[in-house]
Amino acid sequence: MKVPLAWRLLVHDKRRTGLAIVGVFLAIVLVFFELGLFIAVPRGGLLLYDHMRFDLMLTSNRYEYLVDSGVFPQSRLDQIRRRPDVARVMPLYFAAAKWQGGEGGQWIDLFVIGFSTAASPFTVEGIDRRLDILRRPDTMLVDSATRPMFGPLATGRTVKIDGRAEVIGGTYRLGTGFMGLGVALFGERNFARLFPLRGLGFVNLGAIVLKPGIDAEQAARALQKALPDDVRVFTRRQLDAHEIAYWTTRSAVGLIFGSGLVIAIVVGIMIVYQTLATQISRHLPQFATLKAIGYSDRSLYATVAAMAAMIMAIGFVPAALAALWLYAVIRQATLLPAAMTGTRVVAVAFAGLVIAMISAALSVTGLRRADPAEVFDGRAT
Amino acid sequence: MTVSLSASPPLRRALGSGRVPLARRNLLANKARLLRSLAGIGFAVLLMLMQLGFERAFFQSSLQVIELLDGDLFIQNAHKYRFVTRQPFPPADLERARLVSGVASVRPLYADWYSTFWTNPYDGKVFLVRIFAFDPDQPVFRLPAVNAHLAALRKPDTVLVDRRARPFLGMGGNAAAAKLNGRPVEIVGRFALGPDFQNDGTAMTGAQTFASLLPPGAPRGIETGVVKLRPGADPSAVARALKAALPPDIAVFTKAQLIRFERDFEARVSSAGVIFAMGTIVGFVVGALIAYQIVYTDVSDQLPQYATLKAIGYGPFYVVGVVLRQAGLLACGSWIPAFLVSLLLYRVIGELALIPLATSLAIVVVSFALTLGMCLVAAAFAMVRVVAADPAEVF
Repeated sequence: MKVPLAWRLLVHDKRRTGLAIVGVFLAIVLVFFELGLFIAVPRGGLLLYDHMRFDLMLTSNRYEYLVDSGVFPQSRLDQIRRRPDVARVMPLYFAAAKWQGGEGGQWIDLFVIGFSTAASPFTVEGIDRRLDILRRPDTMLVDSATRPMFGPLATGRTVKIDGRAEVIGGTYRLGTGFMGLGVALFGERNFARLFPLRGLGFVNLGAIVLKPGIDAEQAARALQKALPDDVRVFTRRQLDAHEIAYWTTRSAVGLIFGSGLVIAIVVGIMIVYQTLATQISRHLPQFATLKAIGYSDRSLYATVAAMAAMIMAIGFVPAALAALWLYAVIRQATLLPAAMTGTRVVAVAFAGLVIAMISAALSVTGLRRADPAEVFDGRAT
Repeated sequence: MTVSLSASPPLRRALGSGRVPLARRNLLANKARLLRSLAGIGFAVLLMLMQLGFERAFFQSSLQVIELLDGDLFIQNAHKYRFVTRQPFPPADLERARLVSGVASVRPLYADWYSTFWTNPYDGKVFLVRIFAFDPDQPVFRLPAVNAHLAALRKPDTVLVDRRARPFLGMGGNAAAAKLNGRPVEIVGRFALGPDFQNDGTAMTGAQTFASLLPPGAPRGIETGVVKLRPGADPSAVARALKAALPPDIAVFTKAQLIRFERDFEARVSSAGVIFAMGTIVGFVVGALIAYQIVYTDVSDQLPQYATLKAIGYGPFYVVGVVLRQAGLLACGSWIPAFLVSLLLYRVIGELALIPLATSLAIVVVSFALTLGMCLVAAAFAMVRVVAADPAEVF
């Protein structure tokens, strides 16, 4: 009963309803946009982990986040290798170096990752195929997202890294995330040659792969107990949560896009409210007539709510599609991994429903004026 | 509608005053609707203001320190691709610069962003921080809170810390001792600078302390030479003379050039500009749509009245003028409260996020122009109907 009435009210003035749908569309796009950035930033921080094989990650006990991870003695990894539930342990070494071959003679900071070429800890095909290349002396692989200011990333180009000549053996696609403007991979022997003072005695991360069937949570607890407290054991899930918490609470990023998200939702409410209130005031005589012939206030409220929900539903679908395109633009423009997920669609749909209901609740106050006696007095606006 | 026309348009024009403020009265006729309209547009404007504010804060936060440097010209390693990176040059070049005519003083600034770790004195946790150092006899910052503690900085292993650093560093409070790179240091004072998008906190020490903190193998030398000119010296002439006197791997900047150098770098590699511009555009489109809805509704409601005006001899321009003025009033009426709310939000979010979120002349001008633009564009589209309003048809 309420739904057909609400539908007819919407269809009656197609132009105005169309306008409302465009409004809802924009509001939902806006919510997707801010939410996309709110989530893409931590995801950018997780880029490396998202492309690594591990069940558990061993870090220093002062681990802050990927780029400020701290180090622990390599011997901790040997302790782990002997454990029966562990299949493989892969050390990762991080260092900063100067890429002395930037455009215009600039020396640019390069984020260097060293790892054992015996087994790649990365799930990137372009790295697996090129492990041989990394075994050649003074050869590196460069992330293809390394900024253009580094100059050409042509295979065979020799670049001085911290004064030492290194050859680009090829590129791979992983992404630089927040590791820096450019990232290069080195086999651990080459890494040790490039950073003789640093050596391989101290490790930044230990990627641990468990034997099949082993429960990660349990293994993590057992491992933490067995190891000295200068190291910390993360499960994948814990590490994910840790990095996301770092980017959303410790940096200004969470507040910036979080407040953007709140404003986007308020703007959405304003748009839908605006539309509904206009509809109500324009149809006040009709609503008053309905009241006069026996419709209860509640059923009129339900009609307004149904109108809100319908406008939202119609505006939502194209908005979700437009957001797909917008995320592609963000990916291109910012190199952040903005992507649409099922959870996000559901979450925004839910936010849309909340927007619709709040605006319906705000606008029904106008309905109280639908007093048959008064409306037909000719003073309705 | 509450319009009283007491004189014919030509007469009114001749009198030149006392025009009926039709646009204003139209808006005020339905106060509830007006409030709704202003709130709708206002929130879209607020969205734009926040995006513009964040963009400014992003760039401003990394330029803050450069602006605080007390110098007319600056010399740096020419390989340095931005201010915020370690690329020192040898002290000998500083000595050479001191001999150039027109130069009153050249003071060394030492800095590091990668290898200085601060231990939170309250919970013992260790964090990477930014460190600046200078000779206490040759201060380089225009920060009174720093320059008040120069004597204390002469003592080895003393440090000044940023009370506005991110709270988890524990630089605030009144702890008198902490550790830098594992070495116990005495906190001899605090200043207020704030973090930026790369650094959570800042420490300042004397040059001696800094040298002892650097890890083995770290490059040593001066990060920036802060040049002061003799009174009356021409900055560009001295800059040229400095360039001629120094080896080619040293670059010379004026302060404006150094700020532009850093700003250009940020603009080139960071996506902040794009992100906040996109946000502003979305805000503009949303605002324009709300404004269109409002003006369109109003115009359709007043159509008979507008037709009447036309019938009694007012030209289309008069009616168009009324609608445009109405749009202008909507713009002002929504921008002013949105602007005031943005000042409050800048303050609250700026304090919470510890970023230099504040308004600026550019933000005021751009946001108002965008607001006016979106209301006028909306009115122009909505007006198509009024202009076409045929008195005969409307009735």
